[in-house]
Amino acid sequence: MHEASIMRELLAEAAESAGPAGRVLEVHVDVGLLTGVSPDALAFYFEALQGDTLGAQARLDVRLVPLRAACTGCGARREQSELAWTCGACGGNLVFDNGAELTLRQLVVERG
Amino acid sequence: VAELITIEQSILRKNADVAAENRAEIERRRAFAVGLVSAPGSGKTSLLERTLVALQGRLRAAVIEGDVQTDRDARRIAALDVPVVQIVTNGTCHLEARMIQGALSRLTAPCDILFIENVGNLVCPASYDLGEHRRVVLTSTPEGDDKPLKYPAMFRTADALIINKVDLLPYVAYDIGQARAFARQVRPGLAVFETSCVSGVGITHWIDWLLVERRVCVTADRRHREKGLRPTSGT
Repeated sequence: MHEASIMRELLAEAAESAGPAGRVLEVHVDVGLLTGVSPDALAFYFEALQGDTLGAQARLDVRLVPLRAACTGCGARREQSELAWTCGACGGNLVFDNGAELTLRQLVVERG
Repeated sequence: VAELITIEQSILRKNADVAAENRAEIERRRAFAVGLVSAPGSGKTSLLERTLVALQGRLRAAVIEGDVQTDRDARRIAALDVPVVQIVTNGTCHLEARMIQGALSRLTAPCDILFIENVGNLVCPASYDLGEHRRVVLTSTPEGDDKPLKYPAMFRTADALIINKVDLLPYVAYDIGQARAFARQVRPGLAVFETSCVSGVGITHWIDWLLVERRVCVTADRRHREKGLRPTSGT
């Protein structure tokens, strides 16, 4: 449910970055796999709240950022698109270089 | 004409800015702030009561209580003669840095250690830095030993884990070794304490950790001040 609060921040940030003359067409967001933030919930609240700030034409794109993992057992490094805590090869624990991303990456803005 | 603008900015940047201001304000008051998070009913307020009693005569404590409704927890704290400010979120499922900023302005009593009890929720508070120096997550034995794997975002942001209600271990299927292993899988290096707020077991260890962490923090802060630097922020 915190996705509602996160979306309010995102919409305000996008509107501010676009400026009063800009019409936001696309909002591109990065979400890390360790944030516990749900892309589906973000999409739901974007639709529910976009009318007041960006208008109905805006579209949201959420990219789940792959996790860069290293195994503490065998040392293997790999990228994973889903959260796993143990190494598929040796069963050792994984440590991660990233995963906390919650980023407004890009906007596509139309200027009148 | 459509134009692509690259922003690359944290969505919760404003919250992070206010959290940094809170941390600076808490350090200006020479205090050390500890955030408490858990599911509803894990025993945050009971642990606080035990902790505040144990700290009496050693440190001046104060509390910011976050609840969705009611001031019941704040009244429990006030009964111990500890300064307390209640935040009622009216439905919001987590505390945000702005709410703490408001609470700090209402908290006028001097203190050495400030506890911030979040709304009971193992999901939403994880995303919001409040300006605390350390974050402590509680879990209790009836909840099951797999909580760290089920709510990794919260455990990842914590500096210490308290496994509470160990007095109930004879009655629940809970493997403490398993819980510790899961927690350290999700958050390597996490400090782990086993407590019961009924018997008081484990409270001394937890208090020792608090005192050490506070000293580390206050010393680092003083060193920064002497060098005329801004304190570095915690996680």
